[in-house]
Amino acid sequence: MGCFTFYIFNRKGRCQYYHEWQRLKPVRQGAGSQEEDFKLMFGLFWSMRALATALDPKNPNKQQMGAPQRIGEGCNFYSFKTSSYKLHFLESPTGLKFVLTTDPSVGSMQEQLQHIYAAMFVELVVKNPLYTPGEAFLFEPFSAALNKYMRTLGLLS
Amino acid sequence: MQLQDHLPLQLHLHEPGLHSRPVMPARGAGRECAESCMDYLTLELVHHYRDAQQGPSLQAALDAVGERVGRQLAERYARDRPPLTEPLEAMKWLCKEFWGEVFRKPVDNLRTNHRGTFVLRDTQFRWLWRLAQNQMPPQLGLSLPPAVPKTELAADYLVLPCAIVRGALAQLGLDCSVAADAASLPQVDFTVVLAGGGTGGAGAAARGAR
Repeated sequence: MGCFTFYIFNRKGRCQYYHEWQRLKPVRQGAGSQEEDFKLMFGLFWSMRALATALDPKNPNKQQMGAPQRIGEGCNFYSFKTSSYKLHFLESPTGLKFVLTTDPSVGSMQEQLQHIYAAMFVELVVKNPLYTPGEAFLFEPFSAALNKYMRTLGLLS
Repeated sequence: MQLQDHLPLQLHLHEPGLHSRPVMPARGAGRECAESCMDYLTLELVHHYRDAQQGPSLQAALDAVGERVGRQLAERYARDRPPLTEPLEAMKWLCKEFWGEVFRKPVDNLRTNHRGTFVLRDTQFRWLWRLAQNQMPPQLGLSLPPAVPKTELAADYLVLPCAIVRGALAQLGLDCSVAADAASLPQVDFTVVLAGGGTGGAGAAARGAR
């Protein structure tokens, strides 16, 4: 059981926060550089959301593949699981994207991501007078609260 | 906490948060507002005046706003009380009732030298307890920015609380100067120096106001 990495992206695709607990395969072998890694991640969600909406068998609204989607429209993509990790995703109503990669055996983390957004991000980051919305940040109280929360969930030893 | 409606600013709600929405008032009940609104308003006040290209400086503007707000709040919260004549009584009222209404909790410790100087210690000052320095380097790979002392970071955000306290005491008839010390956030010490030395409180040792 373990959590690997955590990202927060803003609406425009800029990575505001990145934390890694365990990353056995270094970034260099994967995406090439940290910047590339962020770009790949963001591109992934963009495409996943577009694909999920296009393949949706239930929603009667016609969504075009290329047009930008409003938040909340179309399908919401929650997570995907591979043989070595599971990736959880939450998009807030304001377009912030929270990404958490964990061990594949972990269940649904939607509520937990919701808690991280409402009780930790809003309280400790947004209400911090020194936070500039949209910019990258690294606040000690937020990192500490995140680690503590991961520990209480049992994902971090 | 009732919002003063004479503060002419636009409120930019970036992240409303999912659990704190303004509550629609029942008819006849006291009007209430989510505490988040107050939090964001005070942040934006400072940012607005700090970034304004013209108009009054941050210190002047927030002093003026705070004094006016402090006077009106003191008038409102002390309305049904007998008059507070002794400076010490006024300070104790300030620490318990006024602080409780404005800053959502009473002051934890009040000390005085009985010569007109009071130190109000709030160990968890709610307006500033989330203040933390952004330690992100401007670009990945550069070194971390130097640590800025907390007093410097908090200086702008303490202008308004000091002015509110000053206005409240002025409304009670006590002219004073207020300074705040935020060296050990989240604890903030407010030092109130009464003009004219102050005369009350003979004989009693400094008490904690809980």
